[in-house]
Amino acid sequence: MTPATRRASLAALISSPGVTLAAPPILIPPAAYFDLAGEELGARMILTQGTNGDEFCLRPDFTLPIAIEHIAAGAETPAAYGYLGPVFRQRADGPAQFDQGGLELLALPDADAALDRVIAFARAVTNLYSVVGPNIRMGDIDLFETVLDACDMPDVWRPRIRARFGHPQAMAALLDRLENPKSPSAGPAGLPQTDIAEWVRELMLTNGLSLTESRTPEEIAQRYLEKQALEAAHVPARAIALLRDYLAISGPIETALAAVENLAAATGIDLSKTLAVTARRLAQLRDGLAGEVLFDAGFSPRLDYYTGITFEVTGAGGSVLVSGGQYDRLLRRLGAPEDIPAVGCAVWVDRLENEVNP
Amino acid sequence: MSAITLALPSKGRIQEEAIAVFETAGLPIGRPGGARSYLGEMAAMPDVTVRFLSASEIARELIRGTIDIGVTGEDLIHETAESGPAQVEIVKRLGFGRADAVVAVPDSWIDVTHMADLSDVAADFRARHGRWLRVATKFVNLTRRHFACHGIAEYRIVESLGATEAAPASGAADLVVDITSTGSTLKANGLRVLEDGVMLKSESVLTIARNADWHTGKLATLDRLLGVLGASKFP
Repeated sequence: MTPATRRASLAALISSPGVTLAAPPILIPPAAYFDLAGEELGARMILTQGTNGDEFCLRPDFTLPIAIEHIAAGAETPAAYGYLGPVFRQRADGPAQFDQGGLELLALPDADAALDRVIAFARAVTNLYSVVGPNIRMGDIDLFETVLDACDMPDVWRPRIRARFGHPQAMAALLDRLENPKSPSAGPAGLPQTDIAEWVRELMLTNGLSLTESRTPEEIAQRYLEKQALEAAHVPARAIALLRDYLAISGPIETALAAVENLAAATGIDLSKTLAVTARRLAQLRDGLAGEVLFDAGFSPRLDYYTGITFEVTGAGGSVLVSGGQYDRLLRRLGAPEDIPAVGCAVWVDRLENEVNP
Repeated sequence: MSAITLALPSKGRIQEEAIAVFETAGLPIGRPGGARSYLGEMAAMPDVTVRFLSASEIARELIRGTIDIGVTGEDLIHETAESGPAQVEIVKRLGFGRADAVVAVPDSWIDVTHMADLSDVAADFRARHGRWLRVATKFVNLTRRHFACHGIAEYRIVESLGATEAAPASGAADLVVDITSTGSTLKANGLRVLEDGVMLKSESVLTIARNADWHTGKLATLDRLLGVLGASKFP
């Protein structure tokens, strides 16, 4: 087979019966990306401006434009979308334009079956490009969130820890800080919160700051006291140790699942319900993709609309060929009235081609 | 062909100080077209063509490799392109044009003294205020790099091309990343630099364009110039 015939076969796999082939515009407004991912993705996008000042980007992926269009059109669910075409991202290890193909399934009634369908698609693609012995890595966002919920700590820290999931250095730095909090700065120590807020309010007015547009005096006073309280070991050492131990778990299915079970037993938290789903998902990936599956507790995209599991497939060359997962919160974030279960995967066409002809 | 192009800042004190560096080394720079001309000449080394450009243009052209060597601010090399520092080589730090790129928050944010505090505030901000934390700056690349280094992703940059220090009071942003030499402008605007908020200690630097066409003839001229100036060797 030539690259062209492989590509034609890939296009055929993508536009299988029941799948709507999506062809969103290449030039799109970047607002949704900034809104969902903040500045970190901004650095990777290729941005430009119209003569009237409107901002545009070259689409950095297909998932968002497809989801936005699905909502805007009031399209019926369940829905299945396929795509194949160029996406654009600034990156150090390759050209800024590259082809991706993929499948997105929205609101399918049976989550297990939907995931199986995505996995079967990924398998067909890796077969097409003769990927031998694929390595599969899986992370589980639900399981991390369950562990975090079970940790004994003030609620204020949970979203902050959640926001660091998927960024090992930032997570380690935060856990270190919770373990050894810095002394709070000199200031109105010993005052009650209302007096501190009053003090802050005066300072804000002196400096000409709005009391409502940005952080409010109450919010600042509250966090100031919280920082002082942290010094008095507000987050128990065993909660920090539990998170560290959990995030360090990484290995083949049986070993990793046993490690999670042991940790739960040792710390007296109940993970059985979520863990049963994790085990089922791992088996789905192993059986569906016929490769080695590694469970990595700390593996996650750093975007909070991902839910459930996330996975990636690497080939002999070590680069990611397929990445996918569940993202039940995305459509609501984009304006849908409720969470819509969603699962999909993207395949990197150029890298797959390199697997055939390294 | 052994001629190389040297670019010097086209205005202000950094222009005077840059010219003085060469004069002190025994390489006075003349301006045959008068003080407003954008071309200069180095009588002691006629193989060096001198051009006067704005400091930010010098940074950009050094990165592209369309000029060979120049004097510009280190901050501009970092800011012009994400991979800018890798495209050039600093051969001498010149000790003038000193300025720090810093992260500064309203002084009233008494709970925020370090980048770690800012990462907490950023993580909570959207849930509390329905929008991202906003950072006003003209140093987009530097800011993204520094914030990413501290694991902060939950913010937006508001590009500001002047009077950045006024952005928190005008409501355009919540905090700023700005360049400062003494910190007095920030202080006058009720802003405080975080204790680990210095992103870059910048000064004017003599810099070589790695991407220029460095054939043997040009390298010989460059080598002599760097020798006279007491700069590091290139390559």
